[in-house]
Amino acid sequence: MHKLGRGSRDKVQQFMAITGASEKAALQALKASDWHLEGAFDVFYSQPQIAVANTRHLEELYNRYKEPDADMIMVEGISQICNDLQVDPQDIVMLVISWHMKASTMCEFTRQEFIGGLQSIGVDSIEKLQAKLPSLRAELKDDQKFHEIYNFAFAWAREKGQKSLALETAIGMWQLLFAERSWPLIDYWCQFLQVRHNKAISRDTWAQLLEFVKTIDPQLTNYDEEGAWPYLIDEFVDYLKENGLA
Amino acid sequence: MSSGGPPRKRNFKIEAFKNRVDLDPKYAERTWKVLEHAIHEIYNRNASGLSFEELYRSAYNMVLHKYGEKLYDGLQSTMTWRLKEISKSIEAAQGGLFLEELNAKWMDHNKALQMIRDILMYMDRTYVPTSHRTPVHELGLNLWRDHIIHSPMIHSRLVNTLLDLIKRERMGEVINRGLMRSITKMLMDLGPAVYQDDFEKPFLDVSARFYSVESQEFIVCCDCGNYLKKAERRLNEEMERVSHYLDAGSEAKITSVVEKEMIANHMHRLVHMENSGLVNMLVDDQYKDLGRMYSLFRRVPDGLSTIRDVMTSYLRETGKQLVIDPESLKDPVEFVQRLLNEKDKHDKIISVAFGNDKTFQNALNSSFEYFLNLNSRSPEFISLYVDDKLRKGLKGATEEDVEVILDKVMMLFRYLQEKDVFEKYYKQHLAKRLLSSKTVSDDAERSMIVKLKTECGYQFTSKLEGMFTDMKTSQDTMQDFYAKKSEELGDGPTLDVHILTTGSWPTQPSPPCNLPTEILTVCEKFRAYYLGTHNGRRLTWQTNMGTADIKATFGKGQKHELNVSTYQMCVLMLFNNADGLTYKDIERDTEIPASDLKRCLQSLACVKGKNVLRKEPMSKDISEDDTFYFNDKFTSKLVKVKIGTVVAQKESEPEKQETRQRVEEDRKPQIEAAIVRIMKSRRVLDHNSIVAEVTKQLQARFLPNPVVIKKRIESLIEREFLERDKVDRKLYRYLA
Repeated sequence: MHKLGRGSRDKVQQFMAITGASEKAALQALKASDWHLEGAFDVFYSQPQIAVANTRHLEELYNRYKEPDADMIMVEGISQICNDLQVDPQDIVMLVISWHMKASTMCEFTRQEFIGGLQSIGVDSIEKLQAKLPSLRAELKDDQKFHEIYNFAFAWAREKGQKSLALETAIGMWQLLFAERSWPLIDYWCQFLQVRHNKAISRDTWAQLLEFVKTIDPQLTNYDEEGAWPYLIDEFVDYLKENGLA
Repeated sequence: MSSGGPPRKRNFKIEAFKNRVDLDPKYAERTWKVLEHAIHEIYNRNASGLSFEELYRSAYNMVLHKYGEKLYDGLQSTMTWRLKEISKSIEAAQGGLFLEELNAKWMDHNKALQMIRDILMYMDRTYVPTSHRTPVHELGLNLWRDHIIHSPMIHSRLVNTLLDLIKRERMGEVINRGLMRSITKMLMDLGPAVYQDDFEKPFLDVSARFYSVESQEFIVCCDCGNYLKKAERRLNEEMERVSHYLDAGSEAKITSVVEKEMIANHMHRLVHMENSGLVNMLVDDQYKDLGRMYSLFRRVPDGLSTIRDVMTSYLRETGKQLVIDPESLKDPVEFVQRLLNEKDKHDKIISVAFGNDKTFQNALNSSFEYFLNLNSRSPEFISLYVDDKLRKGLKGATEEDVEVILDKVMMLFRYLQEKDVFEKYYKQHLAKRLLSSKTVSDDAERSMIVKLKTECGYQFTSKLEGMFTDMKTSQDTMQDFYAKKSEELGDGPTLDVHILTTGSWPTQPSPPCNLPTEILTVCEKFRAYYLGTHNGRRLTWQTNMGTADIKATFGKGQKHELNVSTYQMCVLMLFNNADGLTYKDIERDTEIPASDLKRCLQSLACVKGKNVLRKEPMSKDISEDDTFYFNDKFTSKLVKVKIGTVVAQKESEPEKQETRQRVEEDRKPQIEAAIVRIMKSRRVLDHNSIVAEVTKQLQARFLPNPVVIKKRIESLIEREFLERDKVDRKLYRYLA
């Protein structure tokens, strides 16, 4: 460490704090990105995970949390996992973990989802997963990953057999997700949905809202009414204008 | 002579005789003097004493001997001198003699010029081209222009005299047109530029001022029609003037002046003139004034568009009043008739006064389309109008008359933007006509359907045609039924059943009421017959749509045949076994829905002249506490009494909303089908192109709402017929 300047040392510390990576990994990523912090994140996350998980340990882990009479981890098992990880079940990091596991529905992990997911993360114990939490949480800062996690959330949070996402669930998910992205209009959006829409959310609307957030400035100066936005978003824009909010 | 040697030979040579052949300067001078004198004599009109041959030879010799320049210059100076003398003579002319003197001198000059040119013809042919001088005749004209026409003393006087004479002619005086003709021809002969610069331009300028002043006077003291008459007369006068004594090329210019000063500059004031402007002409069908306005205004830029704009504004306002006037909404037939009358009126104006101008026809069409669609009830009212005509209005009319009226209706139909709404109402009204046999002729009905099919395609009318097919099939079925079952049926009531294909008819499912036993029996026989003939069919009675004929005997023994609805029959038959029945009794025994029952009883008990029932208490409306009695005191002059026939009426507001809601629902699958058709053929298409294409495909029936199209697209995405392109979110892909 004596070789590094003060600024560089700060960057290493910051990178380690955010990603939970080792000092060695931090140094490699920062050097590869010419000491740009954002670039270093991209380098780090694009690397394949090196650690190899022990399958037998994963089997033991799965068996510990699964339902006694079903080959599936369900609500109680997931609650227990959260307890052991010392995270709140509502914590967004659980969404990230579910995304890694490719979980098809909320509050359920199949054997394949659980074991395959943890393998892809490169952990085979609760302790290792717990140590991994900061880096998993940090994945939300990557635009591409956020985009994938956001779209994953729709099917994950949806009721089985339904095509649309229940309104209250959708609102909860949006509030959770956009806490990571500071979209200035999130509160107005949720308010609008409850006051004017009061119906389920389609997948297309869900996906297009993220595009809307990415591409349209909060003052709506570049909003195009003929821009093929879902009707609900058109109505939201009208709602904002009617109430002098944009 | 000495005799010295031999004699010497001498050569003889002949040399040219120089002195006699060369023309010496003195001779040339003398020759020119002779010619000069001759020119003067010609101008003095003493040419008869001259020898043309001698003069010609003199000029010939001068040119031949290289004295062409002397000859030419001499000619020019001599003519110049003469013209200056002539100029003085013309200037000295008194008053009205000025033009005559000018013209006389001009004619003399022309004669002289011709003779001089003949004498100097050899010079014109040889010396003039090689020396690039002006030919003799042209020289003469140029000198006349420069020394006579452009003489300061003559020029302004000439122009002013001409313009003054024209002004006096405009004021109604008779002037010497022949003389004017000669003078203007002179100016043209001197060269178009002379005519244009020295006469035409000041003429146009003075004319512009004249007509500017006159139009100001006219616009104040004349009404629009009279003003246009005067303007037209002035135009004609100017054209006539040109044909009499101006150059033809001036016509377009002078008419342009009149057009600008009398028409273009006052166009807007004219059309908006109070009590006599364009709108007044339209209101009062003043074809001549309108025709005159049209022919005059078309001569100026924006003239016709000015008329068109005012006509359009007037039409839209008038039409708007027609379609939103609460009074006119009370009677749909009257509503439509007024529209047709308005259309006829303006069609006639356009054909008689506006020469069938296509741009005016288009303006009329777009105006009608504008205001007809302002009232969302227009489709219903047009259908009711057709209903009225096909029920009775066209009774006894010739086939040709029928076609004329239906064609006019089709014109209005064409303006509808919601043709599918019309179809919905038309189907309802047609159903009632067919089921109650209240149509003037099948041919007229079919003619109307052919027109609708021509306009909107087979799909639009397929169900309507299905209705006719059902009527025909039903007729055949009933004939067969009675042929096969006559013995079983005996003396029971006669049944006439219409079998209606589900989906073709605008039926509302309604619970069947309790039919009288006598009717029920024959109905069951028919059902057994029909289902025995057609396996797998389901038969549901629509008792809310039928009619019945009943014979009734009243107090003093008088008999009447009552024509009533099926519901009314069910009610009346109850009184064969009871003298009085409460409302609740009737409701229980018949099971007719309350709203229908009340309407039914109101017709039977509350309509004067048709009240075969009597009710207590007496009142206009039906209450559930009422009691009803057979009206023994009923009388009528007619043997056949028609009671409460179901007649197509305009819908109440709730009914209208319901119909419209059904139309909106029917549009969704049509929009989706259009989207799927488009995407199936295109595979990939952007949002705005889909909207445009769907609108294009469906606008023959209705104008799709872009928001509805967007919602249907979203629905198709949700159902995975379409997906958004991964890269371009405005692009949709068809999923096979």
